[in-house]
Order: sequence, then C-alpha cells, then structure tokens
Amino acid sequence: MTERKTTHFGYQQVPVEEKAGRVADVFHSVAARYDVMNDLMSGGIHRLWKRFTIELSAARPGQTILDIAGGTGDLTARFSRIVGPTGKVVLADINASMLKVGRDRLLDRGIAGNVETVQADAQYLPFPDDTFDCITIAFGLRNVTDKDLALRSMLRVLKPGGRLLVLEFSKPQSKLLEKVYDQYSFRLLPFMGKLVADDADSYRYLAESIRMHPDQQTLKDMMGEAGFVDCEYHNMTGGIVALHKGIKP
Amino acid sequence: MTDPTFRAGFDATLETAINTALRYDPGSRARLAKLAGKVLRVDLTAPALTLFLPIDDGDDEDGGYIEVHSRWSGDVTTELSGSALAFVQLLRNRDATPAKLGVTVRGSSALLAELQAIMRDLDIDWEEPLAKLVGDSPAHQLGTGVRVAASWLKDALGAAPKASAEAVSEEWQMTPPQAQFEAFAEDVAEFAQGVDRLEARIEVLRRKLEGRGQFGGEEK
Repeated sequence: MTERKTTHFGYQQVPVEEKAGRVADVFHSVAARYDVMNDLMSGGIHRLWKRFTIELSAARPGQTILDIAGGTGDLTARFSRIVGPTGKVVLADINASMLKVGRDRLLDRGIAGNVETVQADAQYLPFPDDTFDCITIAFGLRNVTDKDLALRSMLRVLKPGGRLLVLEFSKPQSKLLEKVYDQYSFRLLPFMGKLVADDADSYRYLAESIRMHPDQQTLKDMMGEAGFVDCEYHNMTGGIVALHKGIKP
Repeated sequence: MTDPTFRAGFDATLETAINTALRYDPGSRARLAKLAGKVLRVDLTAPALTLFLPIDDGDDEDGGYIEVHSRWSGDVTTELSGSALAFVQLLRNRDATPAKLGVTVRGSSALLAELQAIMRDLDIDWEEPLAKLVGDSPAHQLGTGVRVAASWLKDALGAAPKASAEAVSEEWQMTPPQAQFEAFAEDVAEFAQGVDRLEARIEVLRRKLEGRGQFGGEEK
C-alpha cells in the first residue's frame, strides 16, 4: 500500500489534496467579518503594512496589476485609482466567498471599469505569459499548498521587469517580541475570533499557519529558486510581517 | 533602517490631517483639483525627511486630495529642499519667498506658487464638522460665537500694541508720551553733538599747546 503525501494545515498534517478544501472552509467561515477581524487583530496596522506594499509596488498609470488572494479588495481599490482608466487590476482569489465580499465592496465604493474579479488558484494562474506589470499577494501565500509552484506560476504571468510583492506574516526579530506575539496569537486571537466571528478554530488555524510559513530568508531563497532576481525583503513591526519583493528577469 | 510601519503611520497621519483640514474648505479643494497629477517632492533638512506629495482629484466631486508618500517612482513636478520651519513660513507668510528662507526650488515654480496661494487663503468652515457632532442648529450658534470671538480676538490682537503703549505711558505713566520722548531724544542728540564739537575743540587746543612745548615756536 502506498503512503499518501501530506502537507501541513496549521499544526496538523493532512493529505495534500485536502488542504485547499480545508483552507477554503476557513475563509468561507471568516469572509463576512474578515475586514473587521483584520482591524481588530492587528489594531489597524494591517492598513500600514498594505500602504507600504503599494509604495514599494511602484504601480503607475496604465499598468496591469494582479492582486492574488485579494480577498476583500482593499489593495485592488487602491491600485484601481493608481492605474487609472488606461490600466487594469485583476482581483483574484481561490475562495468564492471572499471574492464575492470583495467584488460587492468595490462596487459599493464605486470602483469599477478597470477592475476584473477572477476566481483563480495561485498555483495555476489562468492568464497568458507576460501579462502583468506587478503582482501582489497579501496574506495569501501561507495558505497555498505548493508555494514553489505558485511562485513559478506568478513568474510566468509577470512581464519581464515586472515585480512580485509578497506581504506575509513572518518571524519576529526579537525573542521578547516573539514571546509576546505567541501569547497573543494562541490565547487572545482565538478568543477574539470566538467573540467577534463565533469561530475560534479558524483563527487558531491562522495563528498556526503563520508559524508554519517559511521565515524571511527561506522565502527569499524560494523566490530566487523560482527564478526571481534582485530579491529583497523588508521587516515590518519587528518582523511580525515581512514584505518580499522580486523582479522577473 | 526605521521600521517601515512607523514611516507608513506618519505618512498616513499627515495625509489624514491635511485632507481633513481641506475637506472643510471646498474652495481650496476645488483649486487643488486643478493641480491633479502634479507631484511635489519635499526634502526636509531639519529634521531629515523626504516626502512625496502627489495631488489627485479625490474620491468624490468635492475636489482635490493630497497624498503623502515616502517613495515615488513616477515623475516629480517640483522639488523643494529646506528646513521644516522654513516650509511652514513659506506656506503661511504672505511675504515669504523661497530665496529669503533658504529653500531651494527645482522644476516648476508654478506649482509651489499655487500651493502657497491655496494654503494662505485656507478658510476652514468649522461649522460643518461641528454639525456632524452636535447637529445643525447648535453648530450654527457655536460657529457664530466662535466667529465673533475670533473677529474680536483678531481686532484685539491688531490693536494690542497701540493700546498697550497708551496704557503704559498715559494710564500708568510708566513711560513718557511719545511726543515728550521724541523732544527729549532730540535734546539728547543735540547735547551729544555739542559734546562732540567741544571734544574736537579741546583736541585742537591740546595739539597747539603740545606743538609750542616741543618746538618752542609760534603757530603758523
């Protein structure tokens, strides 16, 4: 009998083919309260992390941007204004519930015309080669089953000279901060999840998945191995979050 | 390197403060909207800080919006360099010029001139934010009160130097009236000139006496 290939889902090991479904369940569960929880969990700082991401993206009018795992569309909304009527932003997410919330929210804010929504798996992006000037994936890569496959897929759809920006939770740079952060993640976070979204398990998964995600240097190396050049990362809030940037040669 | 979170927080706070003030002066926002697409780069020397201020036409129909960024990959319309204090004076003081304040300007100076004009003419309608908090009628009452108080304060501050001078000299008699002081000053100046003339004559006489003593001859 052959052994089934497994991967991590938080701290659990699950069959590879099951991970996407389980992640999907988590995000179906949190979609409606995703923004409220983000604000609550980060004290609003996630807006500053995203603000820096947009600055580093060097997006310009007329460019084509792909916002993978774009969820509720806050990066897409900003990019839509920057690229203007001659540019285009594609909001992509594997999760239909998140995508629906994002699309409705964009429409409510009057953001339309240069925005498309696409349900897509980051590992198998449904776009031609050399399509985008810039790709962002904010708090999404850690949920992808095969990160190497996803990075290569992103490289393929980027234009030469195009930028990939990965905003993701990472490893705190100080031991003290790491201890405080652990207490917060494993005690307070599930409690807040239970209180606000009535879903402690999903928020426990979020905390666990962050710990299983590659650290700053490992992710930088993975980007280099996938074929990106000039890879760099910026630690934010003491390394709780890191923004990685790579260029398609 | 500073944690980018702090810098992003600073930029976001500054951007919110600028645009919150502008929101309550629709006239300024309308003028600002005409500058949409232009970008100002500000290099502060003290404290050392670089800001990029792109102007866009805003989310709504009410007018322009100023963004604040630490990085900018696009074109810049005007670059300014100088101290923070000089920039504050440049934007608020009608007679201030970049050259007088030691501010270096590169690129188009028209953008700077227009921004200066907008900032100097900024006339914030405080009634609008007040109305959101306490309702239209109380806000109007408060606004009227504030306007009367502000007008009185402005007049009072304008008249303050004259009034205080009169009080010091006439009411409290701590200093002489201006005319008396001027006459006294003229007398002092005349006296000083007299002293100078006397000093010069004494010097001439001293030299004559020294000449006689040394050579024993007559003055020619």
